[in-house]
Amino acid sequence: MSSKHSANGVAAVVGVGNTDWPEDYRRVRAGERPTDAYGYGAIALQRALADAGIDKSEVDGLITAPYTPVERAAELYGINPRWGSVSDAMQSVLTATMAISAGLCEVVALVLGFNQRSAGYKYGGTGTSGAANNLSYAYHEPWGLTSQGALYALMYRRYMELHGATEADLGQVAVAQRQWAAGNPNAVMRKTITIEDYLASAYIAEPLHIYDYCMINDGGVALIIAEKERAKRISQRPVTIRAIGRADMHDQSTTLKPRLIDFYHPGHTLVSKQVYDAVGMGPHDMDAVQIYDSFSPHIPVALEGFGFCKIGEGCRYIAETGIGPGGRLPVNTSGGHLSESYMQGWNHQIEAVRQVRGDAATQVPNCRNVQYISDVVGKVYSIIYGVE
Amino acid sequence: MAGALTHFSMFDVPFWESVSRDALCLQRCSSCSTYRYPPGACCPNCLSLEADWVQVSGKGRVLSWTTIHKQYLPAYPAPSTVVVVHLDEGPIMITHFDNEDAGKLRLDAPVKLTYSTHPDGYRLPKFTLADDSSS
Repeated sequence: MSSKHSANGVAAVVGVGNTDWPEDYRRVRAGERPTDAYGYGAIALQRALADAGIDKSEVDGLITAPYTPVERAAELYGINPRWGSVSDAMQSVLTATMAISAGLCEVVALVLGFNQRSAGYKYGGTGTSGAANNLSYAYHEPWGLTSQGALYALMYRRYMELHGATEADLGQVAVAQRQWAAGNPNAVMRKTITIEDYLASAYIAEPLHIYDYCMINDGGVALIIAEKERAKRISQRPVTIRAIGRADMHDQSTTLKPRLIDFYHPGHTLVSKQVYDAVGMGPHDMDAVQIYDSFSPHIPVALEGFGFCKIGEGCRYIAETGIGPGGRLPVNTSGGHLSESYMQGWNHQIEAVRQVRGDAATQVPNCRNVQYISDVVGKVYSIIYGVE
Repeated sequence: MAGALTHFSMFDVPFWESVSRDALCLQRCSSCSTYRYPPGACCPNCLSLEADWVQVSGKGRVLSWTTIHKQYLPAYPAPSTVVVVHLDEGPIMITHFDNEDAGKLRLDAPVKLTYSTHPDGYRLPKFTLADDSSS
């Protein structure tokens, strides 16, 4: 299936907000519990409403992340929506747009509150997070495999063997994203690193180094998405959701077939055609790209899959093009999950919006179209944010 | 046996029972002969609920591997290695691997099935390099 219509022209983002991640991080590391998941969400929601310049009484749709069930969140936030749901970042943007398109609501608040560090969420060992959705996180525990980073180590090991790539090739991602974060006051990890620092750093799951891993931190993110005409009345500078695409790959996902054999490329191909056809553009028309980066190997593999370069040439493309500040393809311009904040794709959405509006911490010049890409838990998504 | 083993569904019971006999069996669809792993209620190819438990050859090829330098589990002090194997029968299977042989792993290297005992007392299928893997 491919269509000229893929959620394009339905809705726009009129407000974004986030908590102060470096301060959240400092306080939790010092042993404090500043608030809980609902509280982080409330701070982000206050700021997104203020950014949009609306009162919460105008909100008639509410989506929360799974850490704050929507009914209790609605009670605490004092919102009685006409429509609501719970989902991850990418699906939240998609379902908000669908609900608006269906006429169920006009102004949707999307709220992530996430206390993963203070609440002790684990991404390895017995009782790892997320196993209910993705059995691969827990199934292989008898054999010693529970670390989600190890799944990406397995992918990048195979990628190295197939394509002749090296650890230093991958290290470019962590180095570039730290350069972006260095210019972002709201990034948690701002000290720049060199490729030598990267190569000298500890392995966690070989061939991945510590710098290939996202951080684990508390925080919140919120977006206000409104029906297109309503958005124009609310905001002087709405950012249009120009296209959204999704394609799933669940075949043998517990034993990692989508990642190890397919590298998610069949899903990338379907989604790239869907979103690029919808806007009549191609990968090289994107002014910046935000890629879900729980682990750095996501970046070269996603760029290949979406047609920025040929399969197997992702690392060479990154070296030749440059993905850091001053590079020809700015990628993860806030520092991403590796260096800014691990908000499970939510911080990528608000960074995309800010880049299009022109008020990002490190602004890409003449930025009109920003693409978001993710491939996690069997689902490939892409969203193109832009001005029409 | 298997006091500490987590069962994710009722279909894990015959799987681990076969492992306890050092005779690894996987489900094969009675209707379309598609193997499936991990064990589960129905065939992803034809949705049939009927399956036979068939002992596998234990032969396969290396898809990938990683040596984990952090200890996540009591039974696996760092460093520990896991290997991903494409079984000749079709499914992919992931097991632990002898750390001292990790440097010998290559893409597509042939492997064979052996068995070991987890510190909690249950038997585990485990892949090692096949004898002809040096060629």
